[in-house]
Amino acid sequence: MDSGARLRSDLQAAMAGGGRGLAAANQLCHACVDLLDVDGAAISLMHEGATRGTFGSSGDLSRRLDEFQFTLGEGPCLDAVAKGEPILVADLAAIKEQRWPAFTGALLGVGVRAVFALPVAIGAVPVGALDLFRHQPGSLHGEQLGGSLHAAELAALPLLDLMGADLDWSAAGDGESDGDGDGAWSELASLERVEVYQATGMIMAQLGVGPAEALVRLRAHAFAHDQTASEVAWAVVERRLSFDDAANTEGSS
Amino acid sequence: MSDNREREIVAAFVALSSRLVDGYDVVDLLSGLTTDCARLLDVDSAGLLLADPHGVLHLLAASSQATRDVELYQLQRAEGPCLDCYQAGAPVSVPDLSEETARWPQFTAAAMAAGFASVHAVPMRLRDQVLGTLGLFGAHTGALADDDLSLGQAFAHVASVALVQGKAVADKDAVVSQLQLALSSRVVLEQAKGILAQTGDLDMEQAFASLRRYARDHNLKLSALAASVVARETAPRQILDHFTERLSTKRAVRPNEL
Repeated sequence: MDSGARLRSDLQAAMAGGGRGLAAANQLCHACVDLLDVDGAAISLMHEGATRGTFGSSGDLSRRLDEFQFTLGEGPCLDAVAKGEPILVADLAAIKEQRWPAFTGALLGVGVRAVFALPVAIGAVPVGALDLFRHQPGSLHGEQLGGSLHAAELAALPLLDLMGADLDWSAAGDGESDGDGDGAWSELASLERVEVYQATGMIMAQLGVGPAEALVRLRAHAFAHDQTASEVAWAVVERRLSFDDAANTEGSS
Repeated sequence: MSDNREREIVAAFVALSSRLVDGYDVVDLLSGLTTDCARLLDVDSAGLLLADPHGVLHLLAASSQATRDVELYQLQRAEGPCLDCYQAGAPVSVPDLSEETARWPQFTAAAMAAGFASVHAVPMRLRDQVLGTLGLFGAHTGALADDDLSLGQAFAHVASVALVQGKAVADKDAVVSQLQLALSSRVVLEQAKGILAQTGDLDMEQAFASLRRYARDHNLKLSALAASVVARETAPRQILDHFTERLSTKRAVRPNEL
């Protein structure tokens, strides 16, 4: 296994220790600090219709720094989500760095010199960001950047959990936290299937919601009925399951 | 090779290369490329699998629903000639699927059930990097003629070039982001198909046809149109009504019309 692959598998393993939502997000942030040569990490959610804010961090300072962006209304993580691309700032003290005057000042004030914001996408929609903070200036080198991008992909899972916060995770079973480090990744892979995308589109039309929300609903249904995302997706595509009906029947159960 | 076929092949490559220059929509172009393969090679359909940065293959385009299903089945069961072709970075030829049931028990059964008898997979390569595979599916048994095989490889090469959009090969990050862009265009395209299928009570193939028809008649990029449907900037009804109108007019719609 090359070192890049090892890094990815270590990140996945960090997610496998059980827990969902906030707990999983915290775990992933700690893993970023352990594995990616950064000093702090935080995950924020800023999708329309979802509560915006920081959910998950490696520690108190990272969480507060991340939250500053929402207070100030500026910062790399907001830009990463708006543009759907990574915002990598190797040196916040560089003279040409004037994108976020207030936020940059706050970071420099506590000794943070570099910040890397990676968008987290669900169903091709950026819904949040993974923010990485470092005391020393300097870029993420290739392998760290690869690992960061992978961590940002993994962060989609806790964000999906949080967007479906009304779900009863205790009823969802522990099947996916099988401890071999493969659970998070195979769950992500199960959501990246053509039938899931098609079903997402159909649910969007059925419920009048956006793609991320439609995917949350599909996944919620899978959990509640102990099915895979793909099974639910096929049922939708083949018209055996419709969410405009399901919304009514599920409300009463 | 008949003169007529030769002319068609040249025309297809000219059309592909001129679209490469013009600024193009990669998913649209590659969908067209799979239909070109089906039309011009001695095969019945073609499908394109593209690897993401983690080496996981995704279906990017297919010339028919049956090919789409069989390609997806390979991905689901993690077995089949296209996967082996990607792993090896070399062509895999299966002139007779019924002779390979031991090698790919699940895939051969599914492919034969779908009406295929032979498969030829060629890699999409960019120097040492394998980007994905082009799968050529035939309803008859038999090896592909050398001509057809090298044409298939040429199409696979065009697909690779289209995917990296002439980015410097050395710039691996640019290539990766280009591939990711193509994959996420695919996501949005499938979502748009779902919206149209639900709204117009169509199957996915019809939904795709309606989207493509609208894009071509309005000179829009397919993925841009798909994105605007998903973002609710273009009403699905508008596309569906246009499709119904076009179907009811007398003018025959030529397949592969550019």
